Amino acid sequence: MAQVTFSSWGRQVIDNRQGGDAEVEIAKKKLPISFNGEKNIAAFMGWDGLILHDPRVDVVAMAAEYAKRVQEDFCCAKCSPGKKGTKVMQDTLARIIDGKGAEQDLATLENVAELLQNCKCTLCMTSAVPVLDTIKNFRDDYLAYIRGERKPKANVDYKVKLTAPCQDKCPAHIDIPAYIEAIKELRYDESLAIIRESMPLPAVCGRVCPHPCETACRRANVDDSVNIMVLKRTASEYERLHNIQPPMLPKAKKDKKIAIVGAGPAGLAAAYYLALEGYPCTIYEALPEGFGGGMIAVGIPAYRMPRHILQRDIDIISAMGVEIIYDTRVGKDISLIELKQKFDAVLLAPGAHRSKPMGVEGEDEGYAGFLAGGIDFLREAYMGKPTGMGKRVCVVGGGNTAIDCVRVALREGAEDSILLYRRTRKEMPADVWEVDGADDEGVQFEFLVLPKKIVVDDKRQVIGVECVRMELGEPDDSGRRRPQPVEGSEFIVECDTLIPAIGQDPDLSFITEETGIEITRWNTVVTKYVPLKSAAGRDLNDTMGNPLSRILLTDMDGVFASGDAEIGPLTVVACVGNAHRAAKVIQRYLEEGQAYLTDDDFHEDILSHLGVYDKNEEVPWLDAVARFNQHEIHGKERASKGNYNEVELGFSDSEAVQEAERCLRCYRVSMIAV
Amino acid sequence: MVSLTIDGKAVSVPKGTTILEAAKQVEIEIPTLCWLQKVSPTGACRICAVEIEGIDRTMTACNTPVKEAIVVTTQSEKLTRIRKQIMELILVNHPLDCPVCDAAGECELQNCCYDLGVNRQEFAAEDVNPPTINHWPLIQQVPSRCVMCEKCVKVCHEVVGANSLFVNDKGDKAFIDKNLASCEFCGNCVAVCPTGTMISKPFKFKARPWALRKVPSVCTYCPSQCQIDINVQGNEVFRITSDDQGTTNNGNLCIGGYFGYGYINSSKRLTSPSRDGKPVSWDVALTSVASEIEKIRQESGADAIAGLASPRLTNEENYLFQKLFRVAIGTNNIDSEARFGALRALSALDKGLGLRGASNLINVIGSADAVLVFGADPTAEAPAVDWQIQNAVRRKDGKLVIANMRRIKLSQFANSQLSYKPGSEIALANGLGRLLVNRGLIDEAYLNRIVANLDEMKDQLASVDLDQVVEATGLPLAELEAAADLLGKAANVAIVFGADITKSALGTAKSAAIANLAILSGALRGQGGLFPLDEKGNIQGLLDMGVCPEKLPGFQNYEQHKAKFAKAWNCALPSGGQDAEGILQGIEAGKIRFLYLAATNPQSFPNSNRWMQALAKVEVLVVQDILPTEVTRLAHIVLPGASFAEKGGSVTSLDQRVRSLERAIRPVGESREDWDIFAELFGRLSKTPLTFSRSSILTELSTLTSLYGDVCFTGTDRHRPCLKQPYRPADKSLNYQLISASDEAQGLQLLSGKSASHFGTTSTWASGPLAVEAEGYIQINAEDAKSAGVADGDSLKLTSTTGSTVGKVKITSTLPQGLLFAPYNFSALGIQKLIPDGNNRTSVQVAKV
Repeated sequence: MAQVTFSSWGRQVIDNRQGGDAEVEIAKKKLPISFNGEKNIAAFMGWDGLILHDPRVDVVAMAAEYAKRVQEDFCCAKCSPGKKGTKVMQDTLARIIDGKGAEQDLATLENVAELLQNCKCTLCMTSAVPVLDTIKNFRDDYLAYIRGERKPKANVDYKVKLTAPCQDKCPAHIDIPAYIEAIKELRYDESLAIIRESMPLPAVCGRVCPHPCETACRRANVDDSVNIMVLKRTASEYERLHNIQPPMLPKAKKDKKIAIVGAGPAGLAAAYYLALEGYPCTIYEALPEGFGGGMIAVGIPAYRMPRHILQRDIDIISAMGVEIIYDTRVGKDISLIELKQKFDAVLLAPGAHRSKPMGVEGEDEGYAGFLAGGIDFLREAYMGKPTGMGKRVCVVGGGNTAIDCVRVALREGAEDSILLYRRTRKEMPADVWEVDGADDEGVQFEFLVLPKKIVVDDKRQVIGVECVRMELGEPDDSGRRRPQPVEGSEFIVECDTLIPAIGQDPDLSFITEETGIEITRWNTVVTKYVPLKSAAGRDLNDTMGNPLSRILLTDMDGVFASGDAEIGPLTVVACVGNAHRAAKVIQRYLEEGQAYLTDDDFHEDILSHLGVYDKNEEVPWLDAVARFNQHEIHGKERASKGNYNEVELGFSDSEAVQEAERCLRCYRVSMIAV
Repeated sequence: MVSLTIDGKAVSVPKGTTILEAAKQVEIEIPTLCWLQKVSPTGACRICAVEIEGIDRTMTACNTPVKEAIVVTTQSEKLTRIRKQIMELILVNHPLDCPVCDAAGECELQNCCYDLGVNRQEFAAEDVNPPTINHWPLIQQVPSRCVMCEKCVKVCHEVVGANSLFVNDKGDKAFIDKNLASCEFCGNCVAVCPTGTMISKPFKFKARPWALRKVPSVCTYCPSQCQIDINVQGNEVFRITSDDQGTTNNGNLCIGGYFGYGYINSSKRLTSPSRDGKPVSWDVALTSVASEIEKIRQESGADAIAGLASPRLTNEENYLFQKLFRVAIGTNNIDSEARFGALRALSALDKGLGLRGASNLINVIGSADAVLVFGADPTAEAPAVDWQIQNAVRRKDGKLVIANMRRIKLSQFANSQLSYKPGSEIALANGLGRLLVNRGLIDEAYLNRIVANLDEMKDQLASVDLDQVVEATGLPLAELEAAADLLGKAANVAIVFGADITKSALGTAKSAAIANLAILSGALRGQGGLFPLDEKGNIQGLLDMGVCPEKLPGFQNYEQHKAKFAKAWNCALPSGGQDAEGILQGIEAGKIRFLYLAATNPQSFPNSNRWMQALAKVEVLVVQDILPTEVTRLAHIVLPGASFAEKGGSVTSLDQRVRSLERAIRPVGESREDWDIFAELFGRLSKTPLTFSRSSILTELSTLTSLYGDVCFTGTDRHRPCLKQPYRPADKSLNYQLISASDEAQGLQLLSGKSASHFGTTSTWASGPLAVEAEGYIQINAEDAKSAGVADGDSLKLTSTTGSTVGKVKITSTLPQGLLFAPYNFSALGIQKLIPDGNNRTSVQVAKV
């Protein structure tokens, strides 16, 4: 039997009902065979059609249920065709299932489906797609119902989820269309409340998020993506600038308590959601008070994330009853075993703060002017400690940390700030706008160079770095062209300070062997997962190569892990999403004695693996209003010595409303029959 | 400009214009149902779908901005089919109760169906609509008639800022629900509802819209003076409406305007003159008044006679009132309740700025870059100012600073709430001024040019001690600095101040301190403004007409200009003259034997006990009013006057616009228009019967004063608001007034003020506002309530040095500890008994009852 009986996904009909074994690429590679490791996916219905695996699935009944769920659970009722059209669709289908339908009803359904194309958003509009597909391709099944020859089977298990391309792509799965809609309606408080349902650090992710959501914005298919991140900033700034008390009310205090290692994005986010549920949380933070925030604090310079605004997000979480014990390093001041004994659950969220070695001759010699690492440099500058930096600074690397280092070097008083990168600007993993920002501030770039050896004078002071020129060869695993040294091209870049910034690892030395917690070869914590395999026989993984559906429980009972130390060094928003799930799993563990994932978790993972955004989709819309970018301070002065004033200035409220109006509100409903 | 083609017609419009608006310019009507100009486009009904060449779907004209060179089609077979079928969907399960629906005759859904030729129904679905909502006061909601256009939700949220209405539930079950706690019962949701979903309970089933005659007039409940249509049938007012187009208020009304008309046709109205409690004819009543006046004038001289006029009267009536007293009776003992508030603001502004009221139109508030609301609650005192403030700060990125002892509704939109300690207003104003200077936020060139006493100003500012300001106001320096920055960095600043300032002790000095702040912040320039609020409808007109002993009409100094008036009026004018306080003392001393109260109720004056005792004592009390009160009970002669709906005349708004009232119904019973009563008395007393007409009064005014610029009362312009002479301060004309005073509070304080649902005492006779707020109450902070041992709804006894009363407790988070608030509107609560003379605040003792 073919893997797929029928598919109309992506507007391409593949029909294997009469035999045949045509393959459906997306079903084979993107969908798991099993929904949750136990039950198989029998059929998948959504905005782009129907994928039928199991021929026994009653497609008509599924369409009727789909229409019902769209109308009753999700339809916002804020446009006439949507509100009434999906109701007519639901009732017409219900009538057919009930044996009271007429053939004319099919024409009515087609008519309604056409009217739904005039909807305000895509929720009801796209709900017509699979229904129409079934009418078109399963007409005999409909007629069987209409003629009274068929009765629906009882108790089919359908899993339903509302999603949107941006929401799906956001690692924290913020309900982006909803918060944008709220801004459109001048309901900033409501907007922020929606954001906080999935993102407890809105001021942070309104500023420094690499906003993967915007890469999945359907508005880009018309002209350019919506400025989703700055709209988030708008919602959070409204609360701050109007001195509004955050409205969160934690539930009554529960008696089981949780210890969290690290007051970074993951630790704070998990504490937020657990505190909301009434769980007393204690966060142990290695850095002193005033420097909470983990990598957001010590890894993101204040000109991108002003300290007082970050502190406000932290203070809000503290005010919810979360205790943060500063200046306390787990593994040194208190052991993990001790935490395990004192608390009902422990979450490890230590982040990734250890610089990777560069592999350059002389780096272990302790030369003056050779700094430990980019992240250490940023931390010391942030904390106002002496960094050991001179006047002519070379930073090695191409990621965001390297860019932060060259920009901070200017603000610390460097006369020359030079970035050395072994590939070209195009291949830099740093966000484009960060590189542009560095450019704007007068950072010098040396592309296609590889440092080989540190050059020092007789006082062991760095005076330069010997580099070799590189050229780009064949693409490597990451798809980027592999740089190769050009023989005999060695030259020296003069400098008095050299900062390696080629990446960070978690420091997991506090996880001792006696805990039994396994650690990967990439130095991340191993957590339990539900293995999901595609029909092609491959394990389903996330973008970091981790198993897709992880429970986030370590090998030690009651000890969970989250954030960079679990995922691998990634982004604030990824840590928050991951920590939110950890919080939910910990709650299940504390309340039900079992750490597990829910249907909704699985559905979320399946959709994110499938991808909700289609960059090739034709989106008919008038591109009358161009994307609006936030105001920014320009020029070298913004990076003058000691000037850590914020560079990006956000939107005014009315600009935000205008930008919000560009959102196409691309909701869609996914339904899986298991 | 963006050029495009609509149905073959070329049109050029500014960037950002919607296709709908562009189409209007070339007279192409695109059908709409949910579109409402005064709120953001919703795009709910989809009826305005149009086609754009190259775009493979319909776009809604109401919320799609134009783009260069697009080709738009608004009429096609496809569009007609879509529009008709969407209307059919909207009509699925729409009830067929049109004959008894309140909207019948003015239903936009009906009109839309008719225009689109929707005459059949292809679709059917189970009827799931939730039941009618009956438990809201004043408003009924019939969800089955709702088309989910969200006009009500948007007007409530975007214009009124109450944010009370919201869409509840999903899919076809969705309906408009209400958070009652934040509802202001302004009726704007009813007004904008295109169907019979939102219904006014007082109007329901009372009349058919087409049977009503709409008489354009002005709401005189507050000085916003919104333009209204009085809907009448027979001699009864059935409802009040207001058009969005062509009114200064954009069709928006408040609870007073929309639901407050009930007193007009109240069965309790005074319908006949009476003497000593018995009905008499007008002739008997007026003869008695005249003879009493004659008698007392002969026995004790004209100065034994006094009168108080009212902001409830028109300009013409107030003019006649002062003329009646000064010319026909021969005394200058005339005053009004403006003495306890508005007059203080006026004298401070006049002295420092040469300003007699607001400096600009209220729409400049709507586009201000920063608004300072100082000691005012615009929502209660002048709702149209509230809407303008929201316009500025919610739609146009303006900043809002609220300086108020209490948190008010507008506080939720404020960037800075300065909750100062009672009595520290001058310190606060001076402190903000000093900070503007300290932080380099003043325009020195402008000040050098405009200020007369620059050196004095600088000295005074230099002497402001910020530590003392922090101490006096109880506000941290950082908060003061933040507020100063918000004001100082704005190009156009609007300053609004109100009752907490003007009605308090030192009201004049506090107003002067705010006038100073207006100079420093540049609020008196171009698109800025200074707006003293006084909640009473025609307070500005009353002041303009010189109803006080020190001023003649047009703010002319009485002693200086009385010769000019004497000549014009062909009589000698009296000297001296007592103000309200003097009149009160005169009655107490037995020197004033005759008091004429014209449409004014001293029960709402501070220290009302003292006033009521004086009224009981005065030998002859003549009360001209429309409703029976404790004051009319004390009167020897009662003259029934008319409500605003029953008379013509002009009134002047808080922003100096002169508008006309139109007589919509005959005065009820035997009552007469107030000006008519004054005119007849004037004739009887002066024995030279004068004919009074509005035009003759206006002619007199324009000869004797320079008040009016282009006032236009005739022809088609009759209902167009006209402007008084605009305020343009000359160079070196602004005086920075040197003030340092404070009235620091000791112990628990009671503040009296206006309820947001009631207007003077008049609305306590109107069923609408009473349905929302039936009686007075005492607001108290939770901590103070705890100390007093009272819970919400308990009775609390308040005692001050002048009186005591008992009222129901309302615990609120809007008050700081140590401050109580009670509305003065309710005579039964009688909070003014506790308030000392000329004040609005007092120390009180509380005791649980």
